[in-house]
Amino acid sequence: MISALKRQDNWTLIGLFITLLMLIALFSWQSEFFFTTRNFINIGQAISIRGLIAIGLTVVMIAGGLDLSMAAVAAVAGMVTASLITLEVNSVLVGVLGIAAAGVLGSFNALLIVKFRINPIIATLGTLLFYRGLAFVSTGGDNIVIGVNAWSELGRGSWLGAPITVWLFLAVVVLGMCFMRFTVAGNHLYAIGGNSEACRNVGIRVDRLRGWTYVAQACLAGLAGLMLTSQSGTALPSALNGAELDIIAAVLLGGIALSGGRGGLLGTLLGLLIIGVVQNGLILLQVQIYWQSVVRGAILIIAVTLDSLRRGGGYR
Amino acid sequence: MGKPSKPPLIRLSNVSKAFGQVKALVDVSLDLHAGEVVGLLGDNGAGKSTLIKILSGNYHADEGSFEYQGRPVTINRPADAQALGIATVYQDLALVETRSVAHNIYLGREPRRFGYFMDRRKMERDANVMLEELNIRLASQKTDVELLSGGQRQAVALSRAIAMGGNILLLDEPTAALGVEQTQQVHHLITSMRRQDKAVVVITHDLSDILDITDRIAVLRQGKLWAYAPSSETTTNQIIGWITGVAPPHVRNGAGEVNKGSDR
Repeated sequence: MISALKRQDNWTLIGLFITLLMLIALFSWQSEFFFTTRNFINIGQAISIRGLIAIGLTVVMIAGGLDLSMAAVAAVAGMVTASLITLEVNSVLVGVLGIAAAGVLGSFNALLIVKFRINPIIATLGTLLFYRGLAFVSTGGDNIVIGVNAWSELGRGSWLGAPITVWLFLAVVVLGMCFMRFTVAGNHLYAIGGNSEACRNVGIRVDRLRGWTYVAQACLAGLAGLMLTSQSGTALPSALNGAELDIIAAVLLGGIALSGGRGGLLGTLLGLLIIGVVQNGLILLQVQIYWQSVVRGAILIIAVTLDSLRRGGGYR
Repeated sequence: MGKPSKPPLIRLSNVSKAFGQVKALVDVSLDLHAGEVVGLLGDNGAGKSTLIKILSGNYHADEGSFEYQGRPVTINRPADAQALGIATVYQDLALVETRSVAHNIYLGREPRRFGYFMDRRKMERDANVMLEELNIRLASQKTDVELLSGGQRQAVALSRAIAMGGNILLLDEPTAALGVEQTQQVHHLITSMRRQDKAVVVITHDLSDILDITDRIAVLRQGKLWAYAPSSETTTNQIIGWITGVAPPHVRNGAGEVNKGSDR
């Protein structure tokens, strides 16, 4: 335990956990509606769809990459599944094709970044615009209303008192944590983020592993798009527009470094929870909606500043 | 051991490499023997790095051939060099700062369970054994490399080279960034490599201790092997003469003349 405390990443986690507890205490004291099972389910519901994308982004960033296109990928996946549902395609096939479509977009990101060596910020800024545009072009900007169908259960159903979206999200978190910690590939992703050249020297297939992170991230975004569509019964080309910044903020808050090699999924989960709790708390306290962005921004800035000070300055 | 009849661990014959018009290496022949430390010297641009990169498979020689323990081999890719037990420890060490000592030692060769899972416990145990054998003292093999000193990092890098099955260790400027005491530590390490019957090539600019830790000295000048001689018969002034070209070429290659080292 003492050696565990020496690791800097663990201090970040402890800090996040204390912050989360303090926020929960604060809102519970301020609002009688906050500390209820119903409300915690609401928070879980609110973070689980974006959370899925954040999990994928965490893995991408640990390996030293970045993906800005993930929300647009989710929108495209939503449009694809909704179109297929209106065409009355077999339900299983709908899900497979929707996520596969997202995977193809992720492969294109991987191609640009790994093969053509384009900086991931620039490459995925390009594909963000490109994919978002495709989502709008596909219907000329119209929404696709699908109503109740075989997939509705995914977004609206619940199991053991909690929404299926929350269970799915938690399952992906746990699987992701096991993958990153226990598998050789997961440990290689950490090492690649730390020093990709060193990994190449010892024969680790850096490009292939990195490429797969973008594909996996896109598939998770596809699943998120599918969940969102089935939840609302409508596919919007503008789905999750602008959410990429919120998602990156949650991941950074969770202690993932832009330079890669550090942090973990537990941090991202705490980052998501903190942002989810603040969002929910401010609504319950009936604070003017525009304060949301101010408060979330402030939390992110405070968190990364403390982190940077403790590490003796991260940006040089 | 050390009998004149024993073939060298690796033999380079007439190796040449050019980059466009620039002849980086010209007709270099060199034998490396097990249990022997060779100091590879030369001015900047003399061809030291090119030679190391050819041996490690990162460059492909334009001409020349290689023999491993007497049988002809090719080194076209890093994987070929690795298969022959040739391991390079680079100047910048190529360590992953954010990972533990144990993971750095076994990077790319992590002990596995069920094919895909990392056997962390075995990795840490093996790392401990390895560090003990090399007489390296660290607080814990679980420490992240970013918390280590320069000498300790060199030790981790060397441990990795050996863990990768290295029999022929190419050390690129191992003491370049180190203080006096840490340089001593690295020299001890090099000596212990010799005891483990490795062939070691040390590239260095530092002439101060080179004659004490090496068995032979190889000097490259303008891409040619200018001098190759037993350290015991060489002086620092001679080396400087060879490096600068003031002294005439002096190559005594071949197993017969090898003065197989006692541990000095």
